[in-house]
Amino acid sequence: MSVELMIAIFITLVGASTPILLAALGELVVEKSGVLNLGVEGMMLTGAVVGFAVTYNTGSPWLGILAAGFAGAAASLIFGFLTLSLSSNQVATGLALTIFGTGFSALFGQPYTGKPLQLFKSIFPVELATHPFLKVIFGYSPLVYFSLFMVFAVWWFLQKTRAGLILRAVGESDLSAHSIGYSVIGVRYAAVAFGGAMAGIGGVCFPLLLTPQWVERLTSGRGWIALALVVFAAWRPFRLLAGAYLFGLIATMELYAKAAGGPFRIIPSEVWASLPYLATILVLVLISLRRDGSASAPACLGRPFVPSN
Amino acid sequence: MTKFTRRTMLKIGGAAATLPLIGSRAFAQKDKVRAAFVLIGTPDDNGWNFGHDQGRLAMIEAIGADKVETTVVTNVAEGPDSERVFRELAQQGHDIIYATSFGFGDYAHKVAKQFPEVKFEWATGNSTAPNLSLYNAKFHEGRAVIGTVAGMMTKTNIGAYIGSFPIPEVRMGINAFQIAARKVNPDFVTKVVYVDSWFDPAKEADAARALIDQGVDVITQHTDGPAALQVAEERGIVGGFGQGADMSAFAPNAHLTAIIDNWAPHYTKSVQSVLDGTWAESSVWDGIASGEVMIGDYNAKVPADVVAAADAVKNAIADGSLHPFAGPISDNQGTVRVEEGDIIDDGEFWGVDWYAEGVEA
Amino acid sequence: MLYRLEKRQVPSRTMLYVTPVLAVLVTMVLGAIIFSAIGFDGPAAVREIFFTPLTNHYKWQDLTVKAAPLIIIGVGLSIGYRANVWNIGAEGQYVIGGLAATGVALATHDMSGWWILPLMALAGAAGGMAYASIPAYLRTKFSVNEILTTLMLTYVSVQVLNYLIFGPWKSPTSFGQPQTVLFNADQTLPYIIPGTIVQMGAPIAIIVALIAWLAMGRSLFGFQIRTVGSAPHAARYAGFSAKQTVWLALLISGGLAGFAGMLEVAGPFGRMVPQFPTNYGFTAIIVAFLGRLNPIGVVLAGIVLAITFVGGEVAQTTIGLPNAAVGIFQAMMLFLLLAGDILVRYRLKRVITKPATGAA
Repeated sequence: MSVELMIAIFITLVGASTPILLAALGELVVEKSGVLNLGVEGMMLTGAVVGFAVTYNTGSPWLGILAAGFAGAAASLIFGFLTLSLSSNQVATGLALTIFGTGFSALFGQPYTGKPLQLFKSIFPVELATHPFLKVIFGYSPLVYFSLFMVFAVWWFLQKTRAGLILRAVGESDLSAHSIGYSVIGVRYAAVAFGGAMAGIGGVCFPLLLTPQWVERLTSGRGWIALALVVFAAWRPFRLLAGAYLFGLIATMELYAKAAGGPFRIIPSEVWASLPYLATILVLVLISLRRDGSASAPACLGRPFVPSN
Repeated sequence: MTKFTRRTMLKIGGAAATLPLIGSRAFAQKDKVRAAFVLIGTPDDNGWNFGHDQGRLAMIEAIGADKVETTVVTNVAEGPDSERVFRELAQQGHDIIYATSFGFGDYAHKVAKQFPEVKFEWATGNSTAPNLSLYNAKFHEGRAVIGTVAGMMTKTNIGAYIGSFPIPEVRMGINAFQIAARKVNPDFVTKVVYVDSWFDPAKEADAARALIDQGVDVITQHTDGPAALQVAEERGIVGGFGQGADMSAFAPNAHLTAIIDNWAPHYTKSVQSVLDGTWAESSVWDGIASGEVMIGDYNAKVPADVVAAADAVKNAIADGSLHPFAGPISDNQGTVRVEEGDIIDDGEFWGVDWYAEGVEA
Repeated sequence: MLYRLEKRQVPSRTMLYVTPVLAVLVTMVLGAIIFSAIGFDGPAAVREIFFTPLTNHYKWQDLTVKAAPLIIIGVGLSIGYRANVWNIGAEGQYVIGGLAATGVALATHDMSGWWILPLMALAGAAGGMAYASIPAYLRTKFSVNEILTTLMLTYVSVQVLNYLIFGPWKSPTSFGQPQTVLFNADQTLPYIIPGTIVQMGAPIAIIVALIAWLAMGRSLFGFQIRTVGSAPHAARYAGFSAKQTVWLALLISGGLAGFAGMLEVAGPFGRMVPQFPTNYGFTAIIVAFLGRLNPIGVVLAGIVLAITFVGGEVAQTTIGLPNAAVGIFQAMMLFLLLAGDILVRYRLKRVITKPATGAA
């Protein structure tokens, strides 16, 4: 395999991974605060269609990304209000959000089906962005650099800031955090909104980074992979990055191997398609076998917070 | 992948709704026909469903809006849900119902049995009933034309074909493309990538990237939608082809030409026969000759000699002097599958489970 | 004048039953307003989606076909949810159950006899149970969260389905299309009312719900499920095993989902096709909640959801409403129900605002 081909594969896999990475980063923060939002797919679709519409109408992908973030956050706040203010069941509310997002995006997106768009390409000088070797550094959409920055930012926030410490405390022991005087609900609202914004931006990666069009259910279930990925990464941002690129590598290598021909089909494609899910289950088991608990799920995950005032 | 909602939209076309014509006898002459079209997607998909909807519109134009009234139901899932839609339409008094996807067949048959006076037509289907006919188009004839274009225009001699799943129609499309390309370019090969999903535009786009990164410079796809063409445009390769409809809006430079599904002649004939009371159980499989399959406009960058060669293939298929599957044909393992002077006829077509020489799958 | 939420001493039983009805009613009103605001005929949309399916005997048949699997799966899920076991992968257990029944059908395709259908039903339930036992094992042995494992396994089940019908189970007479052979008469559910499309699924769904209702309300088993779910500490004192409850909850919900898969493949589908996963497993989660995790409530909720599906199609044929609207209506209904839950635990109390006396 030539270096050029390896670079090409890498660029494709980074593109395929980025929407999942962004959405999963958001969900990671949400889960760290003790909330499980299964509405990622719905928020991604909402972000994708709103981001497409704004980009199409204004010509500015920057505005499109911004709008996608806001749309995702707005959708997530429906979930936030129900689960946090009204302490409804998180599983049911999250699923309802996905149904809502799927329906909303299909309805809202009708006028945009069959309309072409431009991909949001590298903003570096074209000599760098298309250079046979340097493009491995410069040849990506701004969304890719943004996702990498956010991996670092989320890690820094969770590990190095006081606010991050509070968020983790809220996720590990809501009652203690509450008794010290932190606003459990406030922190979780912020986390849920952040998660929604990131899912929305993850969604808009579809028309801006992968395939510049809008059709119903454009994300084809990537939101569920993002949910799996958070668990696969054991709730750690840099593992999330590695996990996202590993998932991307599996999906991309399958296509490159098929294109190359040869005896690839010995392994049925159904096995490849099942791998991310089976790997996630395996990781869950491995996590549970670790005795130090450092990699386990946030203790309050999925539990509504009811202060016993 | 799981989808949570299925959108089923219905439009009333033609004249304003009239009272249901319940109880009309089959094979009687009619003043006005109510025709229903059941689609698996939406007409704005730029592909399969778009083609059927265009055919419907052209049919109304030809028959006259005072003689036909149409109903379109879109995004109908291929399963028991479609049975409900068929029954609803039959009950509403439609005279003829078009089931435009393979997976509708079982359910169209069930409802056809319950409503013997209503006529059904099943696109791409494989079994008839006294009030259920089949219609299909020989898209592989179009594949032979674009294969000629691909074979002549490629610089790398590597073409590609993106499909969803390996079903016979897709396989024969690949064979027609490759056989035609080899005739004009003995070094031509076709790389095949199945995305193993019924619907995943992002994966189709990545498949196109994987193919182009490995030297492919002409790409064609058997999936609805422009995802692969858009990648061809972005990468600036020689080009690709619209599938089902003209897709040049998505790829002004890469769009070389398109295979256009033209159901207008069939729908016009079929509705007319209902009007005349002459509709009968049949199985129609037309192609370029009768206009079911059309080749779109050529991109300005396609050289005149290529256009001439492609048109020659098209005309020869139309007048019957050329058959896309005329022997000698060898498969990609080196076995001779069709002897010189033989052809794969319509009956053998659906049983083919091999790829032609030069196909890498 | 302000209203304040005040916690009730005991959850209100009235509100428990009133809120689902309220949720449906408010959905109709809000839906009519929203869809009018975006340019559709809102009141007509509500009429066509919620009422027209009830006015036509043909539509009644459709409702039974659509509601039966939702009820059967929903009953199983509601039992699990009562025990705080969150099986959200009923869709996967439904697929595997359907596949297991298909396996029996293919193995017995040249045979005939009354015993074939019961055998298929057994296989379907066993298939669903076996698939649900994976998360049960992982939860009880490794404390692995069943929400995540059941969801992951749903996606794997679709790949199993694809593998089988594109490979070993593909019909030799289907012109290469990915589907199995058509089941023969002894492998297909009979119609229970001649001249209709009402199959065995509908009465079976009612029977399943009744059994579950009796079991949950009147047996030690029901007591165990409810206690483990609502008061884990008390359950431990009572000697109920939490692990055993997890197993029971997953086996029951998985078994019923698998059984529903058999009823679908042997009923409306009549053969296994790639389009078999129809989201019944996910929609049944809504049904379970809308039905208040009560088997009788699940029956009503299943019918309500079936009405929206069938009515959604009517609304398109008559007023051109996009089917995406159905999803929005369903989501709204669930949002409102979940929001209404607060009224079960809290009451609205009027408080007289005191005049502000200086800065706080």
